Amino acid sequence: MTEPPSTSPAAPRLLGAHMPTAGGISKSLISGKAIGCTAIQLFTGSPRQWHHPPLDPEVAAAFKVTKAETGIAFTVAHDSYLINLAAPDSEILERSRKAFRRELDRAEALDIPWVVTHMGAHLDSTEEAGIALLVESLRAILEETEGYSAGIALETTAGQGTGLGYRFEQIARVMEGVGPHPRLGVCLDTCHIFVAGYDIRTKAAYEHSFGEFDRLIGYDALKVIHCNDAKKPLGSRVDRHEHIGDGEIGMEAFRLLVTDPKLVHVPIILETPDSDTMHAVNLDRLKRLAASQSLGIRVKVRLFGHFSDLSDTVEEVDLPANSTVADLAKLLGERDARLSGLQTACRAAVNEEYVQSTAVVNEGDEVAFIPPMSGG
Amino acid sequence: MGFIVSEPIDVRAIEAEVSQQSNGAVCTFIGQVRTRSRGRDVAYLEYDAYVPMAEKMLADLVERACSRWDVTVALKHRIGRIELGAASVVVCVGSEHRAAAFEACRWCIDTLKETVPIWKKEVCPDGEFWIEGEDAVKAG
Repeated sequence: MTEPPSTSPAAPRLLGAHMPTAGGISKSLISGKAIGCTAIQLFTGSPRQWHHPPLDPEVAAAFKVTKAETGIAFTVAHDSYLINLAAPDSEILERSRKAFRRELDRAEALDIPWVVTHMGAHLDSTEEAGIALLVESLRAILEETEGYSAGIALETTAGQGTGLGYRFEQIARVMEGVGPHPRLGVCLDTCHIFVAGYDIRTKAAYEHSFGEFDRLIGYDALKVIHCNDAKKPLGSRVDRHEHIGDGEIGMEAFRLLVTDPKLVHVPIILETPDSDTMHAVNLDRLKRLAASQSLGIRVKVRLFGHFSDLSDTVEEVDLPANSTVADLAKLLGERDARLSGLQTACRAAVNEEYVQSTAVVNEGDEVAFIPPMSGG
Repeated sequence: MGFIVSEPIDVRAIEAEVSQQSNGAVCTFIGQVRTRSRGRDVAYLEYDAYVPMAEKMLADLVERACSRWDVTVALKHRIGRIELGAASVVVCVGSEHRAAAFEACRWCIDTLKETVPIWKKEVCPDGEFWIEGEDAVKAG
């Protein structure tokens, strides 16, 4: 038997989750490996404290050894929640800049290439002033850490309160203000951009929102993706992460993301709830979505009656090989809840012949969902 | 082929297709757009079909009727916008004697309604409704 020709790049997609560090930072690598991560994110210090004891060189050495042993290919640090590099209060600003330099010091010592930071909040000041302070902070920190490998990844935010970074334009302005720098990048969080108003639920919406990202910031700057579904609706500007496919965003956006050839080189990190029990489940969901393309088939779907008003009446859909008509109906229902009736209300026809819902569909088939008819 | 049409149906032309002199009976069923449906006034109807499948199924339906009753069958179903009083479907059956013509004509229209993928949308003053079996589902 010959292998089908592969169009995927040699390196597989780096995929993982934010892992806890209870019991030592190396634990994040070990528990990540245990659930099948090839990438992990961690806090290198307590995220709710300003001061951390200096990193023990032995701990740093052990982390690197464990990284090699586990084969985790990509690590990324997330900074402390207390840090606000746009703080109008000069004392908090100085404390934040110092703390962030320590974050970079620790990342450098651990060979972690990026520290993700939220862009801060302008609080009682203006957006304009906040962005100016943030630019100043980033310039100073990059200058003071010249020669480091560890860089700063600005995270897209949900737009809660006076937080900066919920519009791609704001991030673009900060990056422009700092000037091009190899150690300044961006982390895109799917939950954050969605609640900030960037829809990614359909192919058209996904392409529009990511097109905006590319136009304003550029894919080259994208260093890591946080993959989270959202508990709160589009544009709500409320940041509550949900399990992949279970929230307001839904499965289709994540399928588009993990199969997007333009982003295949960008590591993906889950920050979904219930890490102990659910990280493995969410990771598996992303892996299945990614596999659905390489092993999958493409069929043409036709919808009629009121369903024809809800979606494109003719649509190409990718799904895993050996899927049945019922699987296809379920997938369409998951992508758009208004189509959930396809499973219960419709008969199906494959290539213009009625079939049972257990019929397997094949590459290139035309599958029509036929609601109760009313000809005559 | 050509059972599904988008122009007005010429009933006499379809009857003529089954009116050869060996037939002693010609039975014509006309389905036409009525003014009221399910308690609503209807402005007009819009029909949609899964055309390639509907064509195949209607060809099969005609063949089955012809062999089962030894009759000749001609039919057309119109799609698109159809005004009140205009014909949406015409079934003509010619046969030697009337019993087979009536029976086959009835069977053709009943089977068409149950199995051929065609849908109507009732356009009413208070909205548009897809008719899906017993259900009227608001369109849009």
